[in-house]
Amino acid sequence: MASPMEQFQIKKIVDLPDFTIPGTNYTVDMAITNSSLAMFVAAGALILFFAFLTASPKVVPGRFQVVGEGVFTFIDDLATSVMGHEGRKYFPFIFTIFTFVLTMNLLGLIPGNFTATSQLAVTVTLAVLVFSLVLIIGFWKHGLGFFKLFVPSGLPLPMVPLLFLIELFSFLLRPVTLSLRLFGNMLGGHVALKVFAGFIVALGGMAFAGGFGLHNLGIAGAVLSMGGVVALTALELLVACLQAFVFAILTTIYLNDAVTAGHGH
Amino acid sequence: MAPAHEQTHTGTEEPPHEGGLPQFQLEYWGGQIVWLLLLFTLLYFLMSRVFVPRMRKVLDTRAQTIADAVEQARRAQDEAKAMAEAGRAEVAEARAAAQRAGAEAKARANAAAAKRQAAEDERLNAKMAEAEVRIRASRDKAMSNVGAIASDTAQAMIEKLTGVKATAADAAALAAATAKGNA
Repeated sequence: MASPMEQFQIKKIVDLPDFTIPGTNYTVDMAITNSSLAMFVAAGALILFFAFLTASPKVVPGRFQVVGEGVFTFIDDLATSVMGHEGRKYFPFIFTIFTFVLTMNLLGLIPGNFTATSQLAVTVTLAVLVFSLVLIIGFWKHGLGFFKLFVPSGLPLPMVPLLFLIELFSFLLRPVTLSLRLFGNMLGGHVALKVFAGFIVALGGMAFAGGFGLHNLGIAGAVLSMGGVVALTALELLVACLQAFVFAILTTIYLNDAVTAGHGH
Repeated sequence: MAPAHEQTHTGTEEPPHEGGLPQFQLEYWGGQIVWLLLLFTLLYFLMSRVFVPRMRKVLDTRAQTIADAVEQARRAQDEAKAMAEAGRAEVAEARAAAQRAGAEAKARANAAAAKRQAAEDERLNAKMAEAEVRIRASRDKAMSNVGAIASDTAQAMIEKLTGVKATAADAAALAAATAKGNA
């Protein structure tokens, strides 16, 4: 039986010349892999979706337009409810994160497709992107006043250093938790799917081998596993949407921290 | 081009780093990160420059259309209300006019009736007066006849009683005296 981890193995599809980052001797293998192909497909699907959606928009929307506008207003409401009027400015970023992660998650659920968001490199990059944006906006808007984010107001003076350290630590852990949450959910879901799918094959093989009543047991087990795969796929569909939403809402909250430095709006 | 481990595993299907998670093969991180950032940047620019403004425009247009329609409906409603008010006022006015006209007609009819009545009364009174005059005349005539009859009768009675032929003048005086005595 193939290892359930094999689905995460990066494979090169088109080899491209290496790229050396100027000033360092670090080279980047720019080959198109199954992971980057999945990203390309997701980005292409998104571009096609929105190109069609906004090509000839109707004031009275059709079904397709209702779906697209539903996603749009969903994230728009999220951004404005968390960030207030500032939400509009950061909306394109949040919306891009949400739709890109969602598309990669969903495309990964199609059997045989690669799930780019199950790659730690991908989730870490997205999380670090969000985190650096928070740092840049925070220090650009508030300067050193951004550190006030780590000091809750109305705190007795002796508690300040301790809480500052705790808050700073939790702040620095944000990119870690943000990336690991998405990565872990995608990894776990796909491993579970693969394990159950493996059961179907293994138990089906046992049914064919027959003998000692194993035949019926094998068939029953394979059917049960098939049911498990179907149920898990439904669950993973939910997880794929939910994790994209969680990523988007946390991005929004972190951006709001950067914009307000913890002082509300 | 090829990471170091692939050269050691050439020609095998077996994944490298057997046992560990493939996600921790750091030699593949660089390419994924770069491609992801490139695609993300492309998507971000398309979203922020093209798709999001387009969708906002549609949503704003829709909101505007709905607001306009609501405004128009409200205006139409107000107009209808004003019209209904005007109609009601008109009806009330018409009713008042009708009442006035009715009252006027009634008054006119009453006046005409009274005039006619008066004229009729006048005519009847005149007739009555004329009749009274006529009656009085015929009565007087009758009364004078009575005087003549009485004197005739008295003349006859005197002649019968006395055998003397009384003159008409005596008889008339007697009759007048009797009539006076009786009266």
